[in-house]
Amino acid sequence: MAADSLHNFTLVITGAPYSSQAPQTALSFARAALAKGHTLDRVFLYGDGVHLASALCAPPSDEPHWPAQWAAFLKDNAVPGVACIASALRRGLVNDAEQKRYELPACNLLEPFMIAGLGEWVEATMASSRVIYFHAGA
Amino acid sequence: MSTLMVIDQPPYGTWAGREALDMAFSLAAFDQSVTLLFTGSGVNWLRMSQQPGGVEQKSLEKNLSAAPVFGVEAIYADAAACARYGLTVENMIAGVAIASSSELLPKYTHTAFAG
Repeated sequence: MAADSLHNFTLVITGAPYSSQAPQTALSFARAALAKGHTLDRVFLYGDGVHLASALCAPPSDEPHWPAQWAAFLKDNAVPGVACIASALRRGLVNDAEQKRYELPACNLLEPFMIAGLGEWVEATMASSRVIYFHAGA
Repeated sequence: MSTLMVIDQPPYGTWAGREALDMAFSLAAFDQSVTLLFTGSGVNWLRMSQQPGGVEQKSLEKNLSAAPVFGVEAIYADAAACARYGLTVENMIAGVAIASSSELLPKYTHTAFAG
């Protein structure tokens, strides 16, 4: 494939796992994109999409573990995964720094996901050649 | 880069509209060109004198009146959606222009929805 037809994608996921198909569809897209030689700038979780970064999801053993599958994909391919801090705090997704700041009883951010502001998404829209949104589809 | 942020879901039932507005304000804060388009049932965000205190939410009226200050270039409401929901310049909050979505869309390099 010619280099000029290759894209540097940012994926924005706004649908939660187990309530929507969004994280699964996004993962299929991400795998297919890398397989065709495209690159992924980052993955940004927004709104209900932040639930994908929870370390506490425990689906039945015969169902796919979407947070674990996404975490493994991000680590294997060195792709940054960022959850929007405002979305995350509202929905009870925190790292150890936010746990301390808000004096919460626990933290539950799954590695290698990070928590950051919407500025990460703004930067991604500037750095990528395509930004693809995966919504809950309601 | 110019972004058209589209809000197509009604107010209060979900957080998607509010989170789309946060996205728009973030783009503006980083000096990126951004315009808001309310369409479909999303135009109901623009109805004047809403009192969402009863459901412990805030109306967009104050946020939207601050939009030009934050650098949001324009706020549009889709003409067909306004007709469908009985919205006119008389019963809409100030600072909103009525436009055709199909004419607006080609003018922007990015289009984004919150959910």
